[in-house]
Amino acid sequence: MDAIAIDQPEVTMSWQGVVRFLHKTPRAFLPMRSFPSLELVAGRGIEGDRYFVGHEAGFYSHKPEEGRQVTLFEMETFEALQRDHKIELLPEEHRRNVTVEGVPLNHLVGRRFRLGEAIVEATRLSTPCRHIEEILGKSVFDPLINRSGLNCKIIAGGTLRVGDAVRPI
Amino acid sequence: MAKAVKTVSTVVSKVEDLGNDTKRFTLVDQDDWELPPFRPGAHIDVHLGQGLVRTYSLCNEPDDDRRYVIAVKREREGRGGSNFLHDRVEVGQPISVSLPRGGIALDQEGTNIFLAGGIGVTPFISAIRHLERRGRSNYVLHWTSRGRPVLTDMIAPAIEAGRVRLYDTNAQAKPVIAAIFEEFAGSGLAACCGPAAMLKTFGDAVSAWPDERKHIEMFTPPKVIARSDVPPYELYLSASNKLATVTPDVGLLGTLDALGVDVPVSCGGGICGACRTRWTEGPPIHRDRVLSPAERQNELIVCVGDCAGQRLVLDL
Ligand code: FES
Repeated sequence: MDAIAIDQPEVTMSWQGVVRFLHKTPRAFLPMRSFPSLELVAGRGIEGDRYFVGHEAGFYSHKPEEGRQVTLFEMETFEALQRDHKIELLPEEHRRNVTVEGVPLNHLVGRRFRLGEAIVEATRLSTPCRHIEEILGKSVFDPLINRSGLNCKIIAGGTLRVGDAVRPI
Repeated sequence: MAKAVKTVSTVVSKVEDLGNDTKRFTLVDQDDWELPPFRPGAHIDVHLGQGLVRTYSLCNEPDDDRRYVIAVKREREGRGGSNFLHDRVEVGQPISVSLPRGGIALDQEGTNIFLAGGIGVTPFISAIRHLERRGRSNYVLHWTSRGRPVLTDMIAPAIEAGRVRLYDTNAQAKPVIAAIFEEFAGSGLAACCGPAAMLKTFGDAVSAWPDERKHIEMFTPPKVIARSDVPPYELYLSASNKLATVTPDVGLLGTLDALGVDVPVSCGGGICGACRTRWTEGPPIHRDRVLSPAERQNELIVCVGDCAGQRLVLDL
């Protein structure tokens, strides 16, 4: 993992995105609540979220994973779901923490980038989970394959606010 | 390894003795967070420990989203769930519940005719509160009880407005169920929850009604995620020497779970590969999107897998 972090691929990425929504929930199955800002803590996660290291109470907490400290979702996926599957998914329904616009999430695995004043490292693409259909009562599992967001660990913490920029380092 | 979270953790915030052998329990999140959403008249499984699980309808309405309210009548001859709740459950106690299921698909325009026997009124209390909150009065509740009915405080405006017809069967005659529904034969939704005899009479009264216009409150089992359509088969776990039968309603993963086998499951839908398991006898039915044809020769994605033959042997 460290090798990837230090040795960033050659290709320079030029993109600039923005944070549109922020969500967290303290325990598995509870609805996500929207916040104007979230506190990102390096190496631990989001204060008050179900996957915050030391307070694990999430659906996957029995399988600890460093890279699940903060999760991202693309705004553009809402349009794609609407267009391709006639499904309306709301920002509080995908159960990721940060909804971003203009960020090529699927190309960021293994890279570090700035999330507001924080720095995160993308560890892997998120996979959808069958239980999301049970929670939402919407058939979104298949449509979300390959566009279910990105899992990241927090390298440098800070306050993240709606409207903050998301940028390559 | 810690166990996977499979239920919603709540805390008992209020226990009220309503008389007539009935107690009302209010369950909330420990931080007063919103609870998972539900439809009017939905129900939850309440996990009372040591395998004791009972299903109760929610009495509150979907917009009242930070609590689950259930009302429990003590059944002295029952199987122990109501006695446990009455005798052992106190304020402050943690209780695990399932995600809410079911609910009544209310008629938006026509009249919703609810028929309840005793404590069977609970799903309709939820539905009436939901309708009243939206300023709607397109319903009528016929409600029988032996002695003083409980829970009336939850639908006081509806009672005051004359939309609830109460029958104390200790003092007056039972309603003529056929007559109640005759009037609405052409439109509206008919719904009933009560003792078996009442359900039977109700069923007869609306036998000619189309299915989508009638609702008999019955608790639905949890949705099986990977529903299987294959006939039952035998499952043998060679490493732990365990044997079970896999039936379509429980499925392979549910059976492994019941046997106490901790297979790592992540997506639960055959795409992540977390649950791959070696098999030695089958042949299995593969429904995943992970394994190559070569891998399928000796591995199975059990969260969506099954057996095409009579016996599946897994190396677990
Ligand atoms: S749990 Fe993901 S494939 Fe079975």
